[in-house]
Amino acid sequence: MRVTQSMLSSNMLRNLSNSYGKMSTLQDQINSGKKITRPSQDPVVATKGIGYRTDLSKVEQYQRNLGEVNNWLDSSDDALDHVGQAVIRLQELVTDAANDSKTSDDRKKIQVEITQLREQIQDLANTKVGDKYIFSGTNTQTPLHDGTNFADLLIATGLNKEVKMEVYDGVEINVNTTGIQLFSDIDALLGEIETSLGDGSAGTVISGYLTDISKMQNNVLEKRADIGARQNRVEMMENRLASQEIIATKRMSENEDIDYEKTITEMITQESIHTAALSVGSKIIQATLVDFIR
Amino acid sequence: MGSTFMGLETARRGLTTQQSALYTTGHNISNANTIGYSRQRVNMEATLGYPGTGLNAPKIPGHLGTGVQAQSVQRIRDQFIDRQYRQETSKLGYWETRSNAVSQMEDILSEPSDFGLNESLDQFWSSLQILSTSPDDASTRKVVVQKGIAVAESFNYINKQLTDIQENLKNEILVSTTDINSILKQIAAINEEIQAIEPNGYMPNDLYDVRDVLLDELSNYFPVEVSYEKSGGNALAIAEGSMNITIKTDAGPINIVTGKDFASLTANTGSTTPPTPPTPITDAEGYQPFTSFTVTGSANGNVKSGEIKYDDLEANKGQILSLINSYGYGEATAETGVYPEMLKNLDELAKAFAKAFNDVHITGSDLNGNKGQDFFVNKTDENISTVITASNIKVHSKFEKDTSLLAASTSAPNGNAEPGNGSNALLLANIKSKALLGDTTTGGLSGATIQTYYQSMIGQMGVLGEQATRLAVNSATIQLTVANNRASVSSVSLDEEMTNMITFQQAYNANARMITVVDEILDKIINGMGRAGL
Repeated sequence: MRVTQSMLSSNMLRNLSNSYGKMSTLQDQINSGKKITRPSQDPVVATKGIGYRTDLSKVEQYQRNLGEVNNWLDSSDDALDHVGQAVIRLQELVTDAANDSKTSDDRKKIQVEITQLREQIQDLANTKVGDKYIFSGTNTQTPLHDGTNFADLLIATGLNKEVKMEVYDGVEINVNTTGIQLFSDIDALLGEIETSLGDGSAGTVISGYLTDISKMQNNVLEKRADIGARQNRVEMMENRLASQEIIATKRMSENEDIDYEKTITEMITQESIHTAALSVGSKIIQATLVDFIR
Repeated sequence: MGSTFMGLETARRGLTTQQSALYTTGHNISNANTIGYSRQRVNMEATLGYPGTGLNAPKIPGHLGTGVQAQSVQRIRDQFIDRQYRQETSKLGYWETRSNAVSQMEDILSEPSDFGLNESLDQFWSSLQILSTSPDDASTRKVVVQKGIAVAESFNYINKQLTDIQENLKNEILVSTTDINSILKQIAAINEEIQAIEPNGYMPNDLYDVRDVLLDELSNYFPVEVSYEKSGGNALAIAEGSMNITIKTDAGPINIVTGKDFASLTANTGSTTPPTPPTPITDAEGYQPFTSFTVTGSANGNVKSGEIKYDDLEANKGQILSLINSYGYGEATAETGVYPEMLKNLDELAKAFAKAFNDVHITGSDLNGNKGQDFFVNKTDENISTVITASNIKVHSKFEKDTSLLAASTSAPNGNAEPGNGSNALLLANIKSKALLGDTTTGGLSGATIQTYYQSMIGQMGVLGEQATRLAVNSATIQLTVANNRASVSSVSLDEEMTNMITFQQAYNANARMITVVDEILDKIINGMGRAGL
């Protein structure tokens, strides 16, 4: 085959630009850390990548949801703990007041403390997380107790409804504890005790409240046990999501991330090839017969 | 016996012939870098021997040579390689342009990335999840509305950008057609010149070269076929003659250049239902799908008028067909072509997305317990939520002003409000993984989810791009091989020219020496003879 200068130079130019092209692809890969920058380089990787991204963002979102779930459960548990303590204190006071040795003056003093307890329970009924009343069911903007009365179920229809949050595909956790029944019962009981202490009732009447009080105690404990069980479930979910996140990240990375050692080695190889091509090219191109004819 | 001065004449012929060969070498060297130049060669031929035939021819022992003459100057070219080159150029033109068009599309959709439509959808679903956990929070509501606007704007943006590129493609079709017409005109003009020169016995090599360069350019646009028509008169046997060009189509060849007559092409748009006569595509904005080329022949009828329909164009060949395939062709409503299909898919996605979202949204109730309203609406009329496309999707402005209108709750519509109920927000967030049944005309996605539908759109585009890039690289490699073969035959090798230069120079010198010898002989005869004894 007859080979001419213009063929040599155009071939050299093409080879050099191919070499630049390869280096630019490798550089893109190293800079971005990704195997591909456009779908046409590998449509399969690209479409899978879109799916994995969504998977990962989903897991991350569920983790955020879990934070909110914990917030609700912890706050509810804490508030109910205080309610439990108040009930225990109530039991002590009522047991104390039931003694017939107590004068009506003594009982008045106990009544003052009961009034305080009642106010505390009313405050606890209005426990908030952020701007939300957590014991008000789905009526989170309605305080359970407005200072004089408990909220009306006929107006605030969501008081007994569950607040649910999704923590995984199709897995919803009920995060609230409906408080209207519990708090209004305790409040009503406190009211009755308050009256009985004031109107000079006999010790047997007052001690009669003790069974009701222990029933209340049980109610509170039941609610707390329920919360505890849910906290356990959430914890399990957290662990599952954490491993899910690792798996999703790994799958995404395996799909589209480059192997740095490999790519950098390829880059260096390509660089040396390029240098060699340049130096050989410059030698071939520069000499013609012209240089040797005198 | 020849004349006394015969040797002088022979040597003179040698001088001039070697000189013209030397000058041709010079011409070759000068044009070593001229695009399309093919090296030229002086065809030398021995002049007729002495004596000639005839009754009165002198009797000498043998036929005495009388020297050399430059019979013709010919360019070194292989027409079969040219043909091959043009075929590959047509293929390269097609795939390169297609690869380019898909690549631009990829740039706009920018997937996979952290800022494409998929990401903005993901963020929107995420914001709905957050809304489901704190539905009474004004800030999370605000975020949902803003992310919704971001999704709508992503649709708008992608649609606008794709439409802009489509407009550019249309302009490219128009510019290419103009370019094609100009090439045809130039080739016809060169044909005319060649027809004037060849009958005089000359070889217009450089005109041939220019004509071939133009033909290479033309074959980038179209697959073409050429034939030659010999000039009359005193034309040399090796003269190429004037060139006739036909476009290869599936309906047979269509003549576009015959000698000095040429056709001009016009790209048309039109419709068959209802039938409208083809009208030229204009650069006015708007989708004007290609239907046919009108071939306007020459006035004298040597080149006939006709029509090249889209279906007649040979598949996968030529830049112009590639542009047409990318831009769109056929019926405007059929939306055939790379860009029209992508735009159509995007419209279907936007429509299905808006419908699925609105359908769930209106079953919920807002922060005040009122029934939900359409969230995504038509830009032109906010009260319409049915005719939604990627270009007109938007979030109803009332949601931006009053975020409490977001229907995050599943409480009974128009009943008592439940601000802490975020179940509807969850239903909205879960549209992401919901199979949207029904075909695309009714706003479904034939069972695909929004995510998988979008994924398949990107996948499809990726496959188109991959194929186009691969075939462009392939045809570029083949074209390069053919180009190298052609260069191997036709291009100027400086080494070779230098060698030739030495050859011709030495031959010239030797001829000059011959003249000296003859001069000395003559000197002997004239000055040295008949002077015996002096």
